[in-house]
Amino acid sequence: MRLEDYAHDAVACIRCANCKWIDQNYTRSHRFSKVCPINVRYGFDAYSGGGMLTIARAMLEGRLEFTPRLLDIVYKCTLCGACDVRCKRNLDIEVLLTVEALRSKVVQEGYGPLEPHKTITQKVKQTGNRYGSPNKKRLSWLPEGVTPGQKADVLYFVGCNSSFVQVEIALAAAKILKASGIPFTVLPDEWCCGQPLLTTGQEEAARGIVEHNIKAIEVSGASTVIASCAECYQTLKVKYPRFLDKKTEDMSFKVLHITEYAGQLVKSGALKLGGRANLKVTYHDPCHLGRLSEAWKPWHGVFGKFSIPDPPREMRRGTFGIYDPPRELLRSIPGLEIVEMERAKDQAWCCGAGGAVKDAFRDFALWTARDRLEEANLTGAEAIVSSCPWCEENLKDATGDNGKGMQIYDIVQLVANAI
Amino acid sequence: MEIKTKLAKMVGEENVSDDPDVLRNFSVDCSLEKPRMASYVVRPKNAQEVQEIIGFANEVRFPVVPSSSGIHFKGSALPLQGGIVLDLRRMNRVLEIDERNRKVRIEPGVTWPELQAELAKRHLMAIMPFLPHPLKSAVTSHLEREPTVITKFEYADPVLTMEFVYPNGRIMRSGSAVVPGATTTAISDCAFPEGPDIDYWRLLQGAQGTMGVVTWANVKVEYLPEVNKIFFIPFEKIGDAIEPLYRIQRRMIGLECFLLNKLNLAIILTEKLPNDLEQLMEILPEWVVVLVLSGGKRHPRMKIEYEEEALREVGKELSLAKIMSHLPGVPRAEKKLLEMLRRGWPVDKVYWKFAYRGSCEDIFFITKMEKVPHFLDIIKKSLAAYRVIDIGYYVQPIEYGRACHFECNIYYNGSDLKEVDSVRKLYAEVAEALFDSGALFTRPYGLLADLVYGRAAGYTATLKKLKTLYDPNNVLAPGKLCFR
Amino acid sequence: MSLPKEAYQALQSLVGEENVSNDPVICEAVRGGCAGINVWDKDVISPACVVLPKTTGEVQEIVLIANRYKLPYYPTSSSMHVIASARLPNTIAIDLKRMRGLEIDDKNMFAICESGVSSVELFAEVTKKGLWCMVPWCGGQASVVANTAVHGTAPSLYRFGFPHRRILATEWVLPNGELLNLGSASLLRDYFWGEGPGPDLRGILRGTLGHLGGMGVVTKMAVKLLPFQPERMEPMGISPVTALKIPEKRMKFFNITFPTYERAVEAIYEIGKCEIGAMVMIIASLFRYVAKARGKGTAAFWEEWSKVGDQVDWTDTFARVSLIGFTSEKQMIYEEQVLKDIVAEFGGKIREGRPVDESQFTSPDAISSFFVTGTFHPPTLVFDSLDAGLKTARRNVELRKKYKGVLAEDHGYPGWTFSVELGHMCYYEFLCYGDIEDKESLAKLELEIMQSDIELGGWPMFQDPNLLGPAWLNYHKHLRSLKEILDPHNLSNPPLPERLPWNVSPETIMKKGD
Repeated sequence: MRLEDYAHDAVACIRCANCKWIDQNYTRSHRFSKVCPINVRYGFDAYSGGGMLTIARAMLEGRLEFTPRLLDIVYKCTLCGACDVRCKRNLDIEVLLTVEALRSKVVQEGYGPLEPHKTITQKVKQTGNRYGSPNKKRLSWLPEGVTPGQKADVLYFVGCNSSFVQVEIALAAAKILKASGIPFTVLPDEWCCGQPLLTTGQEEAARGIVEHNIKAIEVSGASTVIASCAECYQTLKVKYPRFLDKKTEDMSFKVLHITEYAGQLVKSGALKLGGRANLKVTYHDPCHLGRLSEAWKPWHGVFGKFSIPDPPREMRRGTFGIYDPPRELLRSIPGLEIVEMERAKDQAWCCGAGGAVKDAFRDFALWTARDRLEEANLTGAEAIVSSCPWCEENLKDATGDNGKGMQIYDIVQLVANAI
Repeated sequence: MEIKTKLAKMVGEENVSDDPDVLRNFSVDCSLEKPRMASYVVRPKNAQEVQEIIGFANEVRFPVVPSSSGIHFKGSALPLQGGIVLDLRRMNRVLEIDERNRKVRIEPGVTWPELQAELAKRHLMAIMPFLPHPLKSAVTSHLEREPTVITKFEYADPVLTMEFVYPNGRIMRSGSAVVPGATTTAISDCAFPEGPDIDYWRLLQGAQGTMGVVTWANVKVEYLPEVNKIFFIPFEKIGDAIEPLYRIQRRMIGLECFLLNKLNLAIILTEKLPNDLEQLMEILPEWVVVLVLSGGKRHPRMKIEYEEEALREVGKELSLAKIMSHLPGVPRAEKKLLEMLRRGWPVDKVYWKFAYRGSCEDIFFITKMEKVPHFLDIIKKSLAAYRVIDIGYYVQPIEYGRACHFECNIYYNGSDLKEVDSVRKLYAEVAEALFDSGALFTRPYGLLADLVYGRAAGYTATLKKLKTLYDPNNVLAPGKLCFR
Repeated sequence: MSLPKEAYQALQSLVGEENVSNDPVICEAVRGGCAGINVWDKDVISPACVVLPKTTGEVQEIVLIANRYKLPYYPTSSSMHVIASARLPNTIAIDLKRMRGLEIDDKNMFAICESGVSSVELFAEVTKKGLWCMVPWCGGQASVVANTAVHGTAPSLYRFGFPHRRILATEWVLPNGELLNLGSASLLRDYFWGEGPGPDLRGILRGTLGHLGGMGVVTKMAVKLLPFQPERMEPMGISPVTALKIPEKRMKFFNITFPTYERAVEAIYEIGKCEIGAMVMIIASLFRYVAKARGKGTAAFWEEWSKVGDQVDWTDTFARVSLIGFTSEKQMIYEEQVLKDIVAEFGGKIREGRPVDESQFTSPDAISSFFVTGTFHPPTLVFDSLDAGLKTARRNVELRKKYKGVLAEDHGYPGWTFSVELGHMCYYEFLCYGDIEDKESLAKLELEIMQSDIELGGWPMFQDPNLLGPAWLNYHKHLRSLKEILDPHNLSNPPLPERLPWNVSPETIMKKGD
C-alpha cells in the first residue's frame, strides 16, 4: 500500500470526532458510548482514526518524522475499523486504509514493524505458523475421517490458533462440517494466512505466504473455502484480492465463514440442531467478520474539483458485514437465550487483539478486552460467544481480572454441542 | 451653572424637582429600608435625555438611581447616596406591537395593566408575574427577574432585545437590535436577545439599576386564550402538594399554575375586609394549587379536554381528594382570579399585599420544589419566637417544575413602630436561617446583599470588575448589591 | 516550537506524564481548524503541547501555569469544529476529554456535565427517565458544555430555546486562572439554577456565539432538560442508515410541501402561534438529495443533483414538523388536527412520515453537510425572526450568483431554517460548498455578506468585532475592555473573542485592536 494513494483522504478529515463515538442512534448510555479503544485509553486525539489521518497528512506534507511516538500510535491501533464505519456513515473517506497505508509507510521507510512483530514474522517465514512450531504439527488436531489433501469442493482453512492452541475450535468446526454430510478437505500444507504480516504493513514480506496459500487452495480444487477464524476469513476474502489488486469476486475461490456456511446448512436441513443449551449468551462481533468483511473492490482514480472521484469510488461501509448469520445460527440452538450488548454489530467494541496489538501491547489488549467483559456482564449473560479464536483468547486472558465467572465460547462449540 | 439649572436644560424645568415633598416620595418605599433622600428628581422623556443626564452625572460624580415604577417594594430605587432619582415614568409608550413575531416594544414607564389592555385588543398577552401592583413597570418586573405565573415557556426569559444607557452615558442596544436601522429599516426584526458577543440583558437583570438604564425593551407576547378552565386542588399540608405539582408540570398541563396558602388566597379573593376575609379563612383549604387550562388558537376545547383528562389521571395516580373547577362558598372566584391573572390587579382596589394589614414584607428565594416543606419548617421555627404574625405563602413553579420561587409574605401594620421593628428583626432572622439552609437568594435586596455576597466571593469579585468597567465613576445606583 | 522546560515540567507533575505530551506527532494531530473548511483553517499551527486534565482544579492550575509563563492556550473537548486552535508559538492545547463526569437530577430536570460528555450520551441517559435534551445539529458527538457555551442549535430549539436559555449553574476557569461559579453554584453545592445573585454573569459567558475559547475554560455546566414522552425509541438499521423507531402514539413526523417558500414561512408562523409541535423546519432540497445518496457515494449525489433545475427551492419548499405527545396520546390527536388545518389554510400538502427518525433527535447525519464537496461553510447564519431569515436568504442568493462555477452548484438554494421558541424566532443557515483547495472564495463571500449586513441592518451570526463594531455602537471597544479585565495577558485563544482569527494575520494577533 502507498500512503500517497490516500493523500486526498488524509486531507479530507473534517475533525468531526465521529470516529471516536458509536452511532448516535445506537448510543444507549454514557458508559458505553465510545467505540475507539486507543482514544478511550490514551486520550490524545492522535490516538484515533481522525488523528491518524491528520498525522498522515502531515507526513505527506513533510511536517513530521518517524518517531517512537508515531510508531506507538500507529501500532497500538487494533485496526478494528470502527472509525472507518463511523466516518463512512456520512462521508467518503477511507480512514482505515489510510491507517493501514501509514503502517506500510513505516515499514517501507525502515522504521517498522515493532520487534515483537518481527519475531512473529520470522517464525511465520521459517515455519509457516506464528508460533514457530513445526508446521506438520498443524494437523495434529485432525479427527478421524478427515484426510488432508483429499479432493473436495469445500476446504476448511483452519488457521494457526485453532490448529495449535484452541484445537477445540477446529474439532468443533470439523464436527459441524462432517455432520452436514458434505465432503470437505483441509490443506496438507496450510500456512499461516499471513495476517500478522499484512496487518503490520509488511506486504512484501507476505508475498510468499499469500502466493503459497492461493496456489495450495487452487491445487485442492476447492471452490469454497470455509474459515472458522474471522481473521483468516477476512485475510482470504479481502486482503488477498487487495494484495493482487483484484476484486474478491474475481478470485478463484469463494470464502465463507463457518457461521455463514453452517447457517446455510441449517436452513437447508443438512444440519440439524436438537441438543438444548440452557444458556444465556451474548454475542461479540469480531471486527474481521463484521465490519471489515465486505468484499474488496480496487479503485484507481483521481479526485477532481469538489472532491468528486473519477471514476466513482465504491466505499465499503461495513453495511454488509456478517452480523446476522451468527445470530441466526445461535437462535437455531434450542434453549439458548441471546441478549445483545449495547455496542453490537457494526458498532461493536473491539476485543483488543486485532491489528497485531496483542503481540506488541499485551496490557492494552487486555485492557480493551476488560471493557468488553464489563459490557457483557451487564447484559446478564452467562457467556460470551464469538466467532474468532483471537477474540476468544483475548477475552479469556482478560477474564482473570473482571471475568465474574463469564464463560467464553466459540460459536462452533455451541453449534457442535447441539448436533 | 447650578446643577438644577443644567438638568432643567436637558429635560425642561417642569421635569426637574428639588421640592422636599417630591423628594420625600422617593425617599421611602414599601420596604423596611430606612428613608434616603435624593437631591433631585428628574423625569426624562427619551433615551437622549437619559444619556445627557447620566453623562452629566459622570462629569460631576453625582449618583443616579433609576426608577420606572410608581411603587417599589424592596428598596431598589432608594437613593442610598443621595443624588438624582431618574423617574422614567414619562417614558410610558407602547412603541410597537409586532403581532407577527409576537413581541412588544415598550418603554420603562409602561405598567402591566396598560400593557395588557393594549395587547388584549389584539388577542395577545404578555407573561406576567403574579398579580403585580397596577403601578408596577412591566420592564422593571422583567429586569428584576420576577417569576412569571405561566410555567410552560421553558425558556423562561420573555426578554428579547433592549436599548439601554450604560452608566458611563453610552447608548447600546442588545442582541439583534444593535444593527443600524433597528426598529425602522433594518432586515433584523430585533427579535434575538443575545450578543453581540455577550448577553447585555443578563447583566442588566437583577442589577437593581446599577448596570444601566433601559430605555426600551422588546418582550415576548403570547396568544391570549379565549377559552379557559381554572382548577383548584386543595391540600391540608404543603408537602402533599409537591408531588402533584411535579406531575402536573412534568406532563405540561396548563398555563398558569401556582400554590397559595389560604391566607393569601383569601386576601386576593376578598371583596370586603375584614368580614369576607374571616369567612373565607373558615372555608378555604389550608393550601390550594391553582391551575388554568387554556385552549389554543384553534380547537381550543379539544386542548382543554385532553389536558383535563391528563390532570384527572394525575389525580387518580396520587389519590387526590378533589380537583375542583370552582371554590365552594366563593362564587365567581374562578372568573375573578382569571381576570386578575391575565390583566393584573384591578386599579381601583387596594393592592392585595396592603389590603390585609396595610404593609407587607416579602422574603423570596429560588429552590427545588421538593425542598419547599423543609424551608417552610425553617420559617415556622423562626416565627415561634415572635408573636403570631400573619404570613402568606406563594409557591410558583418555574419552567415545568424545574425549580420554584418560594415567597413568604409577612403582613404587618406599618404604622405600629413596635411591629415594624419586630418584623425587621424577624425578616433578618428568617433570611439568615433560610440562607444557611440552602435557600438561593438570586435577588438580594437590602440586607440579603451582605449575606449573599459575603459568601459568593468569586462571583462578587467579577461583578465588581464589571461594575468598574461599566461605571468607572460609580454613578449608577451606588451602594446597591455588592457595589459599596 | 517548544514550551519552556520549566513550564512543561510543571504540567507533567500536575497531570502525570502520560497525560501531557509535547511530541510533535501528538501536537500535529490536534492542529487544524475546523472541518476542512479552510476558511477557519487559515494560519493554524500545531500547539506546543497537549495536556489532558481530569479535574477543574487541574484546569485551573494549567491556566495559572500558562499565565505565569505567558503561554497562549485554548480549550478543546469533542474537537469538532476546532475554531479554538493554535495560531501562536508555545500554545498549550487543553484537551478536556478526560472530564467525563455526568450527574442527572431527573426530578428537577437538569444534568450536570463536565466538558468531555457528549450530547448524545446525555440524550441516551435522560430519555431513560422520560426526559430529553437538546442534541446539536452539528452532531450528537459534540460536547454538551462546549456546544452550549459556543453554539448549540438544533430544530429542538423550538421547545428548548436558544442555547443561552439552557445554561444553569456553571463552573468556569477564567483566563487568569480564577475560578468563577455561576448561578446557584456561586452560593451552594448545587447546580440547579443559573441566575445571579444579582446581575447574571452568564451574560459574559457567551453572546450570539460563545467566545470560542477566548475567555478561559468552562469545565462544568448544568443544562436544562425537558419533559419528553415515556416510551423508548428503539434503534434500528446498520450503518450508514440507522434510525430510531418512534412510538407512533406519542410521536409523529409530517412532511409538508408548500407552493412557495413564503407560504411555508407563513404557515410556520401560524404553527408557532398555535403552540403545537416539537420541531418545525424547512428542509433544504439539497439535504434530501444528500440523504438519498447516503451509502452510495458522492458521485450518486451529483448525478441526481445535476438534474435539478434552478430555483427549485422557491417552488418546492419542503417543511417537516415533528409532533410529540408530551402530555398524552390525545395531545397528538389534537396537534395533528391543528396542523392539518394550518397546512390546508396555507395551501400545503401534508403527508405523514415514516415512524422512524434518522437524524433529528440524535443528529448522526449532521456531517453529511460535508459530503457534498468535502468542505462547506455557512457564510452566514441568522438568529432572528423568520422574516429576517427569509429576507437574508433572498439577499444571499443574489450575492452568491457571482460565485457560479467557483462554488459548487446550488441551483439557487436559499438555505434552510427552523423555528425557534415556538415561532418567536428562527435559525436560518445559508450553506455554501467550496473546493477543498480553495481557501479564498468562501471567506470572500462571508466578508461580502457581513458588509452587506452592515448596510442593510442584517444580523449575521459570525461577528467580527473589528469589522462590525464601528457600525454596531462600538461594542467591540467594550468587548476589548472585558477581555483586558479577564485576560490581562491575552493568553486565552488569542485573538478571540476580540477578533475572528481568520480575519487577522498571526503577526497582529497579540496587538491591541484599533
